Amino acid sequence: MRPQTYVSRRNSATATTAWSRNYNTVRHTQKSIGPLAYSFLVGLIVLGIGLIYVAQSTRATNYDYELSAIENEISDLQAKKEDLAVEKARLTSIVASENSEVASTMENANAAGYAGE
Amino acid sequence: MRLGLLAAMSIIVVRLFFIQIIQHDKWAEKAAAQQTLQNVLPAKRGEIYMMDGNEPVAVVMNATVYTVIVDPMLANRESVEEKLGSLIKDKQIAKWDDVFANRTRRYYIVAKNVERKAAEQIADLDLTGVWLQSNTKRVYPEGELASNLLGFVNAEGIGQYGIEGALNDELTGEDGLLKTIKDINNVALSIGDDNVKIAAKDGENVVLTIDRTMQHNIEKILEKKSQEIGFKNLEAIVMDPNNGEVLAMANYPGYDPANFGNVESAAAYINHVVEDPFEPASVCKTFAFAAATDLGVMTPDKTFTNFGEITIDGWPIRNAEQGANLLGTQTMQTAFNYSLNTGSTQALRWMGGSETEITQTAREKLYEYYFNRFGLGHYTGIELYESPGYLVEPNADMYGLASTYANMTFGQNMQATMVQVAAAISSVVNGGKYYIPTIVAGKMVNGEFIANEEREPVRQTISAQTSASMREMLYNTRKMWRSNGTDPVGYYVGGKTGTAQVIKDGAYSMDETQATYVGVGGKEGELPSYVIMVRVWEEGKLAGGQEHALPVFNDLKNYVQNYLRIQPKTAE
Repeated sequence: MRPQTYVSRRNSATATTAWSRNYNTVRHTQKSIGPLAYSFLVGLIVLGIGLIYVAQSTRATNYDYELSAIENEISDLQAKKEDLAVEKARLTSIVASENSEVASTMENANAAGYAGE
Repeated sequence: MRLGLLAAMSIIVVRLFFIQIIQHDKWAEKAAAQQTLQNVLPAKRGEIYMMDGNEPVAVVMNATVYTVIVDPMLANRESVEEKLGSLIKDKQIAKWDDVFANRTRRYYIVAKNVERKAAEQIADLDLTGVWLQSNTKRVYPEGELASNLLGFVNAEGIGQYGIEGALNDELTGEDGLLKTIKDINNVALSIGDDNVKIAAKDGENVVLTIDRTMQHNIEKILEKKSQEIGFKNLEAIVMDPNNGEVLAMANYPGYDPANFGNVESAAAYINHVVEDPFEPASVCKTFAFAAATDLGVMTPDKTFTNFGEITIDGWPIRNAEQGANLLGTQTMQTAFNYSLNTGSTQALRWMGGSETEITQTAREKLYEYYFNRFGLGHYTGIELYESPGYLVEPNADMYGLASTYANMTFGQNMQATMVQVAAAISSVVNGGKYYIPTIVAGKMVNGEFIANEEREPVRQTISAQTSASMREMLYNTRKMWRSNGTDPVGYYVGGKTGTAQVIKDGAYSMDETQATYVGVGGKEGELPSYVIMVRVWEEGKLAGGQEHALPVFNDLKNYVQNYLRIQPKTAE
């Protein structure tokens, strides 16, 4: 193997004229955005946040509609439950029992041994 | 041009400044009014229960009913009339001709109190110009049962009379509030910073001590007896003397609380058992004799001389029974048996340590027993509207105190309610313990019955010994008057009649009396299990305790004894 000698690019006499390894082809310089772009970006961010807010609000409102529908349903069912309880109470009331078909076929019991008038 | 533009801009800026800064509050308020939904969340009125054995059953409930509204401008008369007619039937309150007489009207109520099933059918019809509005209505599945006790709820939702009136605050609960941002359809939205939701606090579900079956049958018996004895008004109270619980409180006739407006006068709503003080008459001899016995100045065997009539303060005091065999020396038991007013007056004299005079001490002692111990003439504390009644104070600045107090020994010149008398009699027979009468057993919470704490007596009225003596006197009196048949063997039944005069236009009426009977009963040898008080009356008619109230008591007693399954004492 032939021995090689490393020569720094800075020290190389041919550095400016010849290609060598690790030569920077891109020149790095500090960049900045102008006021127009800056305003545009801020606007974009605000718009984005606004969109997110609107989306979330819409979502919350959708839940509100859903909630309202469920509450109405609960209210209806509650009313039905109460009506059925009333109907049950009417059917099992003493007057209803007394006037029932079953009761009409029964004979009156006679208590004996009590004081008369 | 530029100046014009500048001027226009300036006007706009000034106007905006005026609206947004100066009038900020006004416009903010208007905006809030448009965007804010503010609803009262109505509290559900509590239900009322009675006992059915050990289980509470609802006797006053709530139901959703609907009002049917028609927009005459939009509705098609033929279609509406044909399809709605059969569904609203007896609930219809407006004639179709009237509804459609003015087609420019936009709102006409055609039916009220339409029940859910019919309302659903109406909604399914989807008729143009017809809509439904829901309301809550009080319903009474037991019809007229205990109407005077329960009361009713008026059109404003306020309880009137009875339990509905007396416990209105507990039954009403507290309305809640919903305040939120709303959308155009009035749907509450959760956005916004000032949303408020306060949940409604429903009214309490009250459980009464009243036994539903007993109440029903007591009312039936009163109705039957009313026809038999020919008196229009009968009242009864059944009480457990060992804890003050009212098992039945009946007024005949009653009314339909669902249609409370269909009565001739508001007098129909009165619960006479607690709201109508009257002169209880000779049932009060029980209290006078108990007081004298408790003071140690009287025994059932002690004798006095009966002259048939005595004069006090210039006023004659006569006995209703004037038989020759009752004149002369008689025992106090005989005086009690024959309800001799001269006998009870004598007991009063003895209370003051005199044989012939009604002294101040006698008056003070009777008042102490009547008012402070037995609770006559003032509120008992039962959970109902009550009238206090009236007792003349022993040292009142008036003429005729002695005769007034003599009259009080047989229940005149004083006023008390039936519940006062029943509570007092309970203490006379239960060993001398006075329980505040109660009608509330507890409450229903989430379908579970929460009973009130066990009740304790609030005072001792008489000694246990006096109580035993009075039980004996009441038993002997009833036994004597039951000469045509005895109460069943193995049971204890005692009682006392009363025939009360009625004050009309400031004086005792000669053509009207009220009949009362107070009876107690239970297993022989044990403390009584029930107290029943009966009152019979009708304007312009003479009612007698023996002739009219006693037969009513007998039927009630037979029923109650049977219903409570009181076992007779068996022979040893």
